[in-house]
This record gives sequence, structure tokens and C-alpha cells, in this order.
Amino acid sequence: MDIVTQVLSGVFAVGPVAAMIGASILGVFIGALPGLNPVMAIALLLPLTYSMEPLVALGMVAGIYNGSMYGGAIPAILLRIPGTPAAIATTFDGYPMAQRGEASRALKIACWSSALGGTASAIALMTIGPILARATLAFGPAEYFWIAMFGMASIGVLVGTDAIKGLMAATLGLLLGTVGLDQLSGTPRFTFDQVWLLSGLDLIVILVGLYALPPVIALAEAADLKGLSAAQLKLEPAKVPWSEVRSFVPTWIRSSLIGIGVGILPGAGGNIAAFLSYNAAKSASDDPDSFGKGNPAGVAAAECGNNADNAASMIPALTLGIPGNVIAALVLGALLIHGLQPGPQLFHQNPGLVGGFMVQMLLTSLLILAVGGAAATKVFAQVQRLPGVLLVPTILVLMAVGVYVINGRVVDLWIMFAAGLAGYVFEKVNVPLAPIVLGLILGPMAEQNVRRALLISRGDVTELVTRPISAVIALATLGLIVYPVASAIMRRRRAA
Amino acid sequence: MERRQDIVLGVVFAALGLFAAVRAAAYAGASGTYPMVLGLALSGFGILVAGKAVLRGKPEPRPLTLHAGRVAITVAIGAVYLALVPILGFYTASALVVLALPLALGFRQPVFLALTTAVFIAIVWVVFSIVLEKPLPAEFWQTF
Repeated sequence: MDIVTQVLSGVFAVGPVAAMIGASILGVFIGALPGLNPVMAIALLLPLTYSMEPLVALGMVAGIYNGSMYGGAIPAILLRIPGTPAAIATTFDGYPMAQRGEASRALKIACWSSALGGTASAIALMTIGPILARATLAFGPAEYFWIAMFGMASIGVLVGTDAIKGLMAATLGLLLGTVGLDQLSGTPRFTFDQVWLLSGLDLIVILVGLYALPPVIALAEAADLKGLSAAQLKLEPAKVPWSEVRSFVPTWIRSSLIGIGVGILPGAGGNIAAFLSYNAAKSASDDPDSFGKGNPAGVAAAECGNNADNAASMIPALTLGIPGNVIAALVLGALLIHGLQPGPQLFHQNPGLVGGFMVQMLLTSLLILAVGGAAATKVFAQVQRLPGVLLVPTILVLMAVGVYVINGRVVDLWIMFAAGLAGYVFEKVNVPLAPIVLGLILGPMAEQNVRRALLISRGDVTELVTRPISAVIALATLGLIVYPVASAIMRRRRAA
Repeated sequence: MERRQDIVLGVVFAALGLFAAVRAAAYAGASGTYPMVLGLALSGFGILVAGKAVLRGKPEPRPLTLHAGRVAITVAIGAVYLALVPILGFYTASALVVLALPLALGFRQPVFLALTTAVFIAIVWVVFSIVLEKPLPAEFWQTF
């Protein structure tokens, strides 16, 4: 069976198709509910995927990811409350349009723009991914070690507002990744004579805690007792003329390219893609002053940009094992659950699976057109009538059941809870969470490869930096760490 | 950058890194080298964060909670819930937390709350116990 047939037969089986449709609908619901976000939803979903076929699990991840990115536009346009951080730029023109009575028109534009951005991004993943994977076949243990370090450094430095805190978080993640039996020598490390720690800290348990508990606490703090009234969510039907659709084409092309570029960069997320796309549309416009006052092109740019980031962020994740953002890190977690090691070998050992996931990212982008239509959007808007306080315990229960079913251990519930409380405090003191997760994922890979490289070179440390490719990646890593420090010193000198 | 919070944060991470490095030093050969280096690096970053706060921090504390009372209620009820799961069973403890937490946060529509609890627990039961057949902590009445 050739690869195309293998991919298509896998993707279009009943399970993956049902997973994509169901998850896309769920994704739009999650995006539409302020306080819930795709990261939390996917973190909650991952424990359930243990017993599923990989393409069913990945189809669900793809559906939630793409669906929620569009869903975030619904409260952004109707209420000026971004459903997800990536929808902040959508509020700038979406809400003024809603105030003018053009909410349906804005939602339609958001729906089409999201679908187009996501589709362009998936095509980029399908074309760039395999090429990059082929190029990285020449990599040995030293290169893999430096790639892991580069990923850690880029996420540590680029995510958050303080590079040192980012690097500190990354190091904590790497250290947490060493807990358990050393895979090469069998020595127990940081296990404190606890049998349950021998297998290490479960990535999913930590992920659920870190990413689901802080929003739950935030929902409790907000204590929304009523939800929204039906009148606040009323939508009048609207048509978008073909001439207007055509006028969006340059914006869609520009925003797609920006979103794809941002997605490939580790550390940058959909919100950055949306802001850059919005600013680019404003700069290119003949009437930049109309932006922020209800210009439909602003909605088109922001929504297209944030969805164009989605699949592109999977390019470094699938080819190098370095996630472009937190959701890509969760996808890596989903692959690891099924015993699949992300990286170039993945493309050669499991082409049907990788190809299938890429097609699923494409199909779930197009599904937005079906599940995000006018009638569906009216239904999704109604979820905002739910009082927020009811979501607090229900998410807590879903976290508990999801974590418990992984290993059937009560102790995991407490680890999840502790990780969540730590995550809540870390967010408050500007310690980013993504580097911790990345450290947990990349830590074992980094350690195994550095030790393997040293074994091959009989302990010669210079071997790590004398191979041309590893030297380049090592220098890039060093540059990433030194650059913020050097630029800060320069800024201070100039100010003095 | 808030001075006091970042000093505490830096010191905690530095102490954690140092503890990890000392502990890792006791592991044989290469098993200990990698975590020891990481521990020392964590310590170093902790010292940098604390040092930066001492030199350039401002005494403007970031609010750690928006509403301390509600955070305390949620964390306390959440902890009690986790403690009750192995004692009362998953579904009983879950039903209690779905009822208790909104009430504690000020929700005063008992019929709506009871209905929501019943529907939600039924969905969880159908998905996890019937469809996925996942074993969950047994209910307390099943042990009699």
C-alpha cells in the first residue's frame, strides 16, 4: 500500500472522522467560553487517549486546537472578551462591528478567515515538514542534544517577560525529567525510596495540573454567578457580498504567511501572529484610521493570522521534537503516550501516522466552515449563558478522573494538585510554564543523547561541539542565551 | 520586577537546585553528573533572579490572588475532595464537590445546581465507567 492510500485510509476511518468532527464542535465550545482554553482542554483530553488509536487521539487534538482558535472569536466579537489569548486582536474591530449591529457579519468573516489561515498552515506543515525531516537525518546524538538545548533556550528566552526566569523554569523542567530510574544505568534518582517515583513523574499528570488548575482557580476568583442573558447573545442574520470577500484576499495571504512564520518559531504563539497580522493589515490599508473602529479587514487579519500559527507550530515539533508552542508540546505528549518519539525518525518509521495527523490538521481547519456557520455560532454563543461557578467543580472532577485513569493511583491526584498550585503561583510571579513542560519532554532526550555522544567519543567533551552541525546549533543556543543579557547591558550603557 | 517576591522566588529555586545537586552528587558515575549540573544551573538562575531583584527590584508587590477568600475556598474544597475520593468513592466525592463548591462561592439556585450535578455525574459515569470501562475508586457503600 503506498503512503497516500495508507494515510487516507487511516484518516477516513470511522473513529478518526468522528473524533475530528466531535472535537471540532467541542473546540468551538471551549474557545467560546471565556476562562477555558485549548491548552487546558487538550491537557484534560490526553489522559483519555491512552487506550485510543493514535489517529483518533491526534484527530481530537487537531479538532480542539483549530475549533477553539475560531471559538475564541465568538465572545471577542460579541462581548469584547477574548475566548482565548489569540483572540485579543479580534476584539479591536470585531466588537465595534457588533456594536453597529454587524455581529453576524463579523463572525462570518472570522469563520472564513480562521478556516483559510488554518488551511494555509496545514499545507505549510505538509510541505515543509517532510523536507526538514529529511534534512535532519544526518543528525547524530551530539546534534540531538544541542537541538534539545536550543529548544529549551528558545522557549526559555522567548516565552514570558524575563529571560532568566524562563531559563530557570526550563532547568526546573529538565531536573524534574531526571526523576525516576536512570534509563541508561538503572540508578534510582530523586525517588526518596518511593516505588511510585521509580517510573518518574508522569508528564500528563503534571500537564493537567499546570494547565488546568490555574484557569479553574481564576474562574473561582471571578465567581460568575449568572452567565449572560439571551438578549446579550442575540444575532441578526447578515450577508457578506462577494466583492467584499475578494477584498480580503491580500489580507488573508499576508496574514497566512505571517502566522506560518510565527508558528515555526519556537516560543511565539497565536496571539503574536494575530497582533503582527493585524498591524500588517493596518499598515497596508488605504484607511488605517478605520482600524479599531470596526474595519472587517481587522477581523480577517487577526483570525487568519492566529489560525495560520496552528499547524505551523507543529513543524519543529514533529521534525525536531521541539514544540513551537504549548499545544505543540501537548501533541508531543500525545505521541509519547503512544510510544512514538517525535523527531525525524518519526517520518520514516510512522509515515502513515505523521501524514495522517497533517491531513487531520487540514481537515479540521476546513471543518470550521461547517461547525462555525451562522446557525452553529448562534448555538455556541449560548454556552456563555452558563454561570462560571458551575464550571469550577466540573473541570476539577474532569481533571481528577483524567489523571486517575492514567495509572489508577490516588497519589497522582495529589501530584496534579501540587503541580497546579505551583503553576498558579508561577504565573503570578511571571515564571512561564511552557519551559517546564518542554524540559520534562526534552530532558530525557537531551540526557540520553549527550551521554551517548560522550560514550561514542570515549568521554571527549569537545566532540559535542566539533562536528559542524552541532557546532552551529551550539553557537545558536549560546547566542540565544547571551543576546538578551548583552542587549540589556548595551541598553543600560546607552542610557547612562 | 517586585523585589520581595523575586528574592523569595530566587532563594527557593537556589535552595532547590542546591539540594538536587548535593543529592545527585551521591549517585554513581554519569547518573549523577547530569542532574548535578542541572541542580547547580538551577541554583545559579535562582541566585541571578534574587540578585537582580535586590539590585533593581521595586517594592511594588504583584497581587498573588484577585480574591484571596475565593482562592482559599477553592483550594481547600479541592484538597478535601481529593482526600475523599479514596474514602467515599469517586462518584460520591465528585457529586459532593460539584454541589458544595458553587454553593461556597455564592451560587444560590439549588434546583439548577442539583440538576447540573445529576446530569454532569451521569455523563462522567456513562463516558468513563460504561463506554471506556475505566476502573475508578469504589463507592463507600459497595464495601459494606
